[in-house]
Amino acid sequence: MNYFPDEVIEHIFDFIASHKDRNSISLVSKSWHKIERCSRKRVFIGNCYAINPERLIERFPSLRSLTLKGKPHFADFNLVPHEWGGFVHPWIVALAKARVGLEELRLKRMVVSDESLELLSRSFASFKSLVLVSCEGFTTDGLASVAANCRHLCELDLQENEIEDHRGQWLNCFPESSTALTSLNFSCLKGETNLAALERLVARSPNLESLKVNRAVPLDALTRLLSCAPQLVDLGVGSYENEPDQESFVKLMDAIKKCTSLRSLSGFSEVAPLCLTAFYPICQNLTSLNLSYAAEIQGNHLIRFIQFCKRLQRLWILDSIGDKGLEVVASTCKELQELRVFPSDLHDEEDNDTAVTEIGLVAISAGCPKLHSILYFCKQMTNAALITVAKNCPNFIRFRLCILEPNKPDHTTSQSLDEGFGAIVQACKGLRRLSVSGLLTDKVFLYIGMYAEQLEMLSIAFAGDTDKGMLYVLNGCKKMRKLEIRDSPFGNAALLADVDKYRTMRSLWMSSCEVTLGGCKRLARNAPWLNVEIINENENNDLMMERNEEDEREKVDRLYLYRTVVGARKDAPPCVTIL
Amino acid sequence: MEICNSYSSSSVDSTNPSPSESSVNLSLSLTFPSTSPQRARKQDWPPIKPRLRDTLKGRRRLLQRDYDTCLFVKVYMEGVPIGRKLDLSTFSGYESLLENLSHMFNTSIICGNHRDRKHHVLTYQDTDGDWMMVGDIPWEMFLETVRRLKITKPERC
Repeated sequence: MNYFPDEVIEHIFDFIASHKDRNSISLVSKSWHKIERCSRKRVFIGNCYAINPERLIERFPSLRSLTLKGKPHFADFNLVPHEWGGFVHPWIVALAKARVGLEELRLKRMVVSDESLELLSRSFASFKSLVLVSCEGFTTDGLASVAANCRHLCELDLQENEIEDHRGQWLNCFPESSTALTSLNFSCLKGETNLAALERLVARSPNLESLKVNRAVPLDALTRLLSCAPQLVDLGVGSYENEPDQESFVKLMDAIKKCTSLRSLSGFSEVAPLCLTAFYPICQNLTSLNLSYAAEIQGNHLIRFIQFCKRLQRLWILDSIGDKGLEVVASTCKELQELRVFPSDLHDEEDNDTAVTEIGLVAISAGCPKLHSILYFCKQMTNAALITVAKNCPNFIRFRLCILEPNKPDHTTSQSLDEGFGAIVQACKGLRRLSVSGLLTDKVFLYIGMYAEQLEMLSIAFAGDTDKGMLYVLNGCKKMRKLEIRDSPFGNAALLADVDKYRTMRSLWMSSCEVTLGGCKRLARNAPWLNVEIINENENNDLMMERNEEDEREKVDRLYLYRTVVGARKDAPPCVTIL
Repeated sequence: MEICNSYSSSSVDSTNPSPSESSVNLSLSLTFPSTSPQRARKQDWPPIKPRLRDTLKGRRRLLQRDYDTCLFVKVYMEGVPIGRKLDLSTFSGYESLLENLSHMFNTSIICGNHRDRKHHVLTYQDTDGDWMMVGDIPWEMFLETVRRLKITKPERC
């Protein structure tokens, strides 16, 4: 390979897309490192504080697409204060200053301001694609700048963001000349939508494949939108509280019949069951169905619909479908690859019969041979069921089980669920992500450490007995990247046993565990290449550092540590102490 | 927050464990995180995202408990005082419904579109209480609105 001119090698590298592979290539030799880094177009940064924008740009001057992740995963569940960090602004400033030809920006759990969006929209002439997932800090004014100034915008995808809706006219800000849109998702916006502007925009976007509207788009508007965009592949519908009259219903159904390319359906929050019925004409074409916000649709309606969805590969649903419903899924959806069953009743108010149990999970595992990813919230589980699931589905890549009540044992034997999860990790040799729940002792972690060789991400809640549990995992799982633990009795001994292990991991989260301030301080001293952050909403920096020896024994409420090459960050709020 | 791990179990039939006969009785000191005052304020369990949490909070309590998929309706033939009962969810569409009804009542029955003097016509009463011709609306919509069926003599329509 050394005899080829650089351009040829670069051309060969063009075919290698995966970040992992490109990282490997860059380690082969100095010349390959240089060629690779100069030609790299897409960069993925799993922790925005592991590196800084200046070093990124220096290494990858040809950067076109950047993915950044900010807050740790448990921020999704209100465990991280809003002001913790993850600001995108310095990144946009640096990229603009260096005149990087940025075309795509994908952010997850970051703080984005209107100022950032305005700067973004003005700094990158070829900017095409903005994807924001679980971000916050901006308003519809920021969206207006993006719409107005990004002349080549193809994709604006807003998923689950906290956006302050100023009820402005951001949709009107797309210029009449903007006809390149392929994807528009504003389902998380809470305010009203300018329907006329939306319809005009959709009508002049012949390449639009994905459209996800928010709750403020009513049925008749949806009918008009579908009529001018029958080429849609991916549709997210709004919300319709009232049952439509016959005429509206028939018109909607006629419009839907023409959408022969439709493969993915989502939305349906606060929707009358009849509206789901309108999609019968195309349901046999669906490969992806997300009804996880359709809390008003009862199980029997869901079941009747899913009966016809024979090509489903991805299904997200509420547990109101019941075990019976899952049995229907198992017998109908033979192409199913990913299933998520979310809880519909947070306060245990309703009849137990309607929720899902181990019966539904076993049925799915028996009926769907291609299943590789599952997220399952349920009220009860048994070892026998998990052992059966493991036998039926050795191909799991992601297995996340959440038994709603912490520490709940096998309800038939009253034993822990160690053996059940043990069977899963033993059988599923390709398992990369695992979440455990229910009554669990140190033994389950022994199994995980022994068998889960490919495991990269592990979520633990209310589990284990002693430090040994955590040690089994840290010593055994060679590929561990992200470990997140809450409400489990692991302490300093486990935290400090092998400090170098954290060089190979992206991050560790521990909250409501047994680690103390003293232990964390010791870790920070021994590992200067780690940022060891203590998050405590009741304190501020100064108070913490003045603590005397006695208080070193005080337990730490939340610990978040991550490897970094740029040292302690400067933007931490008062509730965060970096040791 | 302490979670007490003591459970008392009643005897259980190990060959047929069923959820409603759960053997686990939780001791009173066990607090379900989502209802304990601390956690309820924090809203960090179960681990679901804010948008789903908000959706579930805003949800109207389901009053109907009927989760059966069957749809029994009464069927009367005009002139015959005693009616029948039929589960509409077992049919795939109007054709199979008519076929079955024709067998059941031993006569030929058709939908409104092809009326003539020889055949009985099928009508239905909808949620508004009105009597309508069967066959005008999509099958799925029909299932949502039908309350009872009546087989009428041909001249009436």
